[in-house]
Amino acid sequence: MSNDALLTSSIGSFPKPEYLTKARTAFQQGKIGEPELKAVEERATRETIAMQEELGMDILVDGEMYRGDMATYFAENTDGFAISGLVRSYGNRYYRKPILTGPVRFRGPITVEWWKWAQSLTSKPMKAIITGPYTMMDWSFDEHYASRREACLDLARALHEEVRELADAGAKYIQIDEPALSVRVDELDTAIDAMAIVTSGIKATTLTHICYGTFEQIYPRMLDLAVDEYDLAMANTGFALVDHFKKHPFTKTLGLGVFDVHTHRLESVDEMRAGIEKTLQYLPPERIRVVPDCGLKTRTWDESRAKCANMVQAAKQAREKLSAAAR
Amino acid sequence: MIASALGSYPRIGEGAEAQKLRRSIQKFQAGGMTREALREVENEVTGEAIAEQEAAGLDWITDGLVRWEDGQTYFADRLEGFKRGQLIRYFDTNTYYRQPVATGPIRWKAPIAVDDWKFAQARASKPVRPVVTGPYTLARLSENAHYGDFESFAADVAAALHEEVRALEEAGAKAIQIDEPALVQDPSDEPLAKRLLARTLAGTRAEIWVALTMGSPVKLLDRALEWAVAGLWLDGVSDPALVERLATRAAAGTVKLGVGIVNARNTRLESADQVREALARVADRQGAERVVATTSAGLEFLPRDRAQQKLARLSEAAHTLGAGARS
Repeated sequence: MSNDALLTSSIGSFPKPEYLTKARTAFQQGKIGEPELKAVEERATRETIAMQEELGMDILVDGEMYRGDMATYFAENTDGFAISGLVRSYGNRYYRKPILTGPVRFRGPITVEWWKWAQSLTSKPMKAIITGPYTMMDWSFDEHYASRREACLDLARALHEEVRELADAGAKYIQIDEPALSVRVDELDTAIDAMAIVTSGIKATTLTHICYGTFEQIYPRMLDLAVDEYDLAMANTGFALVDHFKKHPFTKTLGLGVFDVHTHRLESVDEMRAGIEKTLQYLPPERIRVVPDCGLKTRTWDESRAKCANMVQAAKQAREKLSAAAR
Repeated sequence: MIASALGSYPRIGEGAEAQKLRRSIQKFQAGGMTREALREVENEVTGEAIAEQEAAGLDWITDGLVRWEDGQTYFADRLEGFKRGQLIRYFDTNTYYRQPVATGPIRWKAPIAVDDWKFAQARASKPVRPVVTGPYTLARLSENAHYGDFESFAADVAAALHEEVRALEEAGAKAIQIDEPALVQDPSDEPLAKRLLARTLAGTRAEIWVALTMGSPVKLLDRALEWAVAGLWLDGVSDPALVERLATRAAAGTVKLGVGIVNARNTRLESADQVREALARVADRQGAERVVATTSAGLEFLPRDRAQQKLARLSEAAHTLGAGARS
């Protein structure tokens, strides 16, 4: 069995510790400055990386401690955007949404310095993560473009620059998140064309993460997205989606979501391992990564830790079983 | 031509004063405010939503649905048989709602929207139309963990909402809006939705207006125009074919047409001319007395200042229609 069998990783976000949430509020109220906030973000990032190392995870993330909303963060650092007044996300939560007000252009590296710094803290590979062009388009107001497709393709060209910068800086894994993708089947072609632009000529391993929505309707067509790996929520439907691979083989690497991020319940090691073993019927272990269903920012720190610990354990047991069978 | 609101109004704006509802809900949730004190704040903000709709020139308004956590829980929380489930994305938006879960027989217990409507109507100088989430949509967006099949679940939801519609009618509501966005997503369910609506509306004397928004109602149009309702609110932005269809289709029947021509989901501000032109085309074909101008959906997806600007444009266009401004 190769060293790449059943590697563990995570989707991107980890819960923001209370001291960081407080610091962000203080910053918004003008009580602390940017350097003070950054120091707190760095502390939280260090702790997130240390936890992943302690648990024995293989491909790490920086936890996105310095990001607010995943579309707004990139919009703030890209030409062609303004940021809106407050709109509701759900319940009593509000956020500021990007507005496309002019042609989208790459202004300069957005995540590269953070990625370099995070990578310097560990000898394990650090995944670079950006929000994809389709999601950026879909989650922005648009006062400029004549069509959604046009906006999406311009975003793709700008984000390609970011991906190139990350690859040049040495990122081995670059993830382009497209959580908005699975909602509108009629726009899948646009998303596919945009992703081809984003990853064109990039040597690093490229991934995408798609969550919620209508997997059944976009599979297997979604395999045409120009990435090497897909991280998909599988646990929240009891690994039922894996059955689709019987009819249409999954031709790329699968980041198999083995636990639900929207429940407090701690899934057992056995449960997660069963999901891995079910998937092993369709894919070799080198083409399966073991990950959570989605980002962890809505869970508590302790819940995230416990769930990730079981995940690492489940992958380890599945690997041992494979080795024993091979002997 | 008259201009109408179509449901929600942004409940917070910029600045501390405009965010009092958000702060109060936080305080209430943390145990630092009584239910009565929160209700006072909701009353104030409802008053503001009414004043802003009237100031924008609307002839027919709602209470802004200021008290709704979302379209599902506002009703499900107050019916017997539902508990709250996970956060789910609301159609193709980047907003989320708590999915109700039916864990027992669904029954109406007591009036849900009646006091809120009475309060709003007493505050307003224009007629206020109460909004009820329709039986098909409420059932479709919930999880059924009790009934053997969807139809029997939905039938009980329809019967429970019938009591609510009756209660609103008895309280004096002359017109009631029923929201059925889920049907727009799945027009093939129209026969079922029609049966459910018939159950909910049995014996009602109030004017019933059914809202078909959050997507293209084009496929539903012909069948919906045969429903036993007073009017339809139609999303005229998601699919330009809607206006085209209304501008060319022969006028038939008596169902009135609420044409949602101002985009409630994008900040780009339409010109009054643009809006007037589309309304004129529909009015020429269908008869101006049958047409009401409105937005493509509720306004909660927009920042508050932009929502108000859009309503002003809408009123201006509707009120100047046929006044020589149609060249």
